[in-house]
Amino acid sequence: MRRPAPVIFLTMLLLWALVVVLNHYLAVWHVHVFVGGLLVTYAGLQLPLRRGLPATAAVGLLCEAGTGLTPGTLLVLFAAAHAVIHHVRDRVPRDQLTTRVIVALLANLGLFLVLSFLLIGRGPAPGAMWPRLITDLVCSQVFVALAAPWYFALQEQALVLAGATPRRLL
Amino acid sequence: MPPRRFDQARPFLTLGIVIAVWLVLPVAIKGFLRVSFFEFQAPITVGTSYLRDLQEYWGLRVHSKPELIAAGRDLARVNASFALASQQNTELLGEIRRLEELLRLPAPAGYRYEHARVVRRDFSGWWQRLMIRKGRNHAIPVGAPVVFTGGVVGRVTEVFAYTAVVELVSSPTIRLAAAFEGDQRPVSFQGGINPTLAPPRGAIEFVPLDIFASPGAPRRLVTSGLGGVFPAGLHIGQVTKVEPSTDGLFKTGEVILDARLSEITEVTVLVPLDPP
Repeated sequence: MRRPAPVIFLTMLLLWALVVVLNHYLAVWHVHVFVGGLLVTYAGLQLPLRRGLPATAAVGLLCEAGTGLTPGTLLVLFAAAHAVIHHVRDRVPRDQLTTRVIVALLANLGLFLVLSFLLIGRGPAPGAMWPRLITDLVCSQVFVALAAPWYFALQEQALVLAGATPRRLL
Repeated sequence: MPPRRFDQARPFLTLGIVIAVWLVLPVAIKGFLRVSFFEFQAPITVGTSYLRDLQEYWGLRVHSKPELIAAGRDLARVNASFALASQQNTELLGEIRRLEELLRLPAPAGYRYEHARVVRRDFSGWWQRLMIRKGRNHAIPVGAPVVFTGGVVGRVTEVFAYTAVVELVSSPTIRLAAAFEGDQRPVSFQGGINPTLAPPRGAIEFVPLDIFASPGAPRRLVTSGLGGVFPAGLHIGQVTKVEPSTDGLFKTGEVILDARLSEITEVTVLVPLDPP
C-alpha cells in the first residue's frame, strides 16, 4: 500500500461516524461535540503535504455535506488548519503523544472559534448564543483530549497494516 | 537561503492554490461534490439508525407480559378517545366544506402525510437539523413543512435519494410568519437560542403594541398560514416575554419552543397535493 491518503481518510470517516452517533444522543441535552481539530492533526503532523492535504480536504467536504454551511467552508478551514500544522511540525516533537494531543486541542479550539465567529451573526441574539457555544467547546475539548490517544494509535496502526508507515513516507 | 524559505511557505502556497481552485470551480461541480459526499455518508447514518431500531426492538422484547397487557389496555383507551375525536373531525370538515360551498370560498391546499423516522439529530449551537429516512423515493419536496405531536418541527431544506434534511424551527436560519392564538395579525418568528439543558427558544418581531405576555400568563404562538409553506394554526411555542422594540413601533418577544424537539424519533412531512 503506497497511498496513505485513502487509509487516513477511512480512519477519519470512522471518527466522523462515531461523533455523528454521539451527537445524536447528546442532542437530548443540547450538547454538541466538534472534532475538526482531531481530524486534521495526524495528517498535518505526520504525512507529506501532497498525501495529507487531499485526505483533509475530503473530510472537510464530508463534514460539511448536510450542514447549512456555504459550500467549501469546512474544506477551506480544514485545509488552513492542515497548512498551519504542517508549517509548525518541524519545530515541535511531533512523535510524542502529548504534543499531538496539544496540537489537536489547539487546532480544534481555533477551528471552533473561527466557525463560531462566521456563523454567530445568523441568530436573532448573537450574545445569547455564546454560553451554549462555550459549553459545546468545553465538551469538544474534553472529548478530543480523551479520544486523541486512541485515535492517533488507530491511524498509526491503520497505516502500518496498509504497509505505509509514516516514517517510510517522509 | 531561498530553497528553505520556499519549503517553509509551501503549505500556505498549496493552501492558496486549493482556495483559488475552489473559488473558480463552477457551482454545478460544487453542488455535485456536496450531493456526492452526502450520498456517500448516508448509508452509514441510515445503517446506524436501523441498528438503533433493532436495539429498541430487543429492548422492548424484555418487557414482561403483564407490562405489555397494561400498555395494550392504555393504548385501547387512547384509541377510543382518538376514534371519537376522528368522528368529530369528520363532522367539522363536512361543515367547513358546506360553508365553503355556500360562501364560494377557495378550499385550502391539501396535504399528504408522510411519516418518517429520524436517523440523525444534529443540534449544534450553530444549526439544528434532522435527517429523516425518506427522500426522493417518497416524493418529499424541498420546502415541505414538517410537524410532530408538539406542533411545528421545521422545513425540509435538502432532499436526497432516500434521505432528507430538515431545518428545525429552533435553527437560526428559520424564519416564518406566525400569529398569536386568537389574533389574526402576523408576527415574524426566528429560531436560534438553544441553551444547554433547557428548552430551545426563538424570537418574535413586529408584535403589535397591544399584545402582552409574561411567564405567568404566556400566549400561544401558532403558524399564521401566510407565506404558503405552513398551514395555519400549527403550534410553534409559548410566548413568555414581550417588550417594546427600540423603534417603539412594535414589540419583540421570546418564545419557548417544545422541549421534545430535541428527542424526536418520528416526524410527519406535509407533502402538498397541489405543488405550486
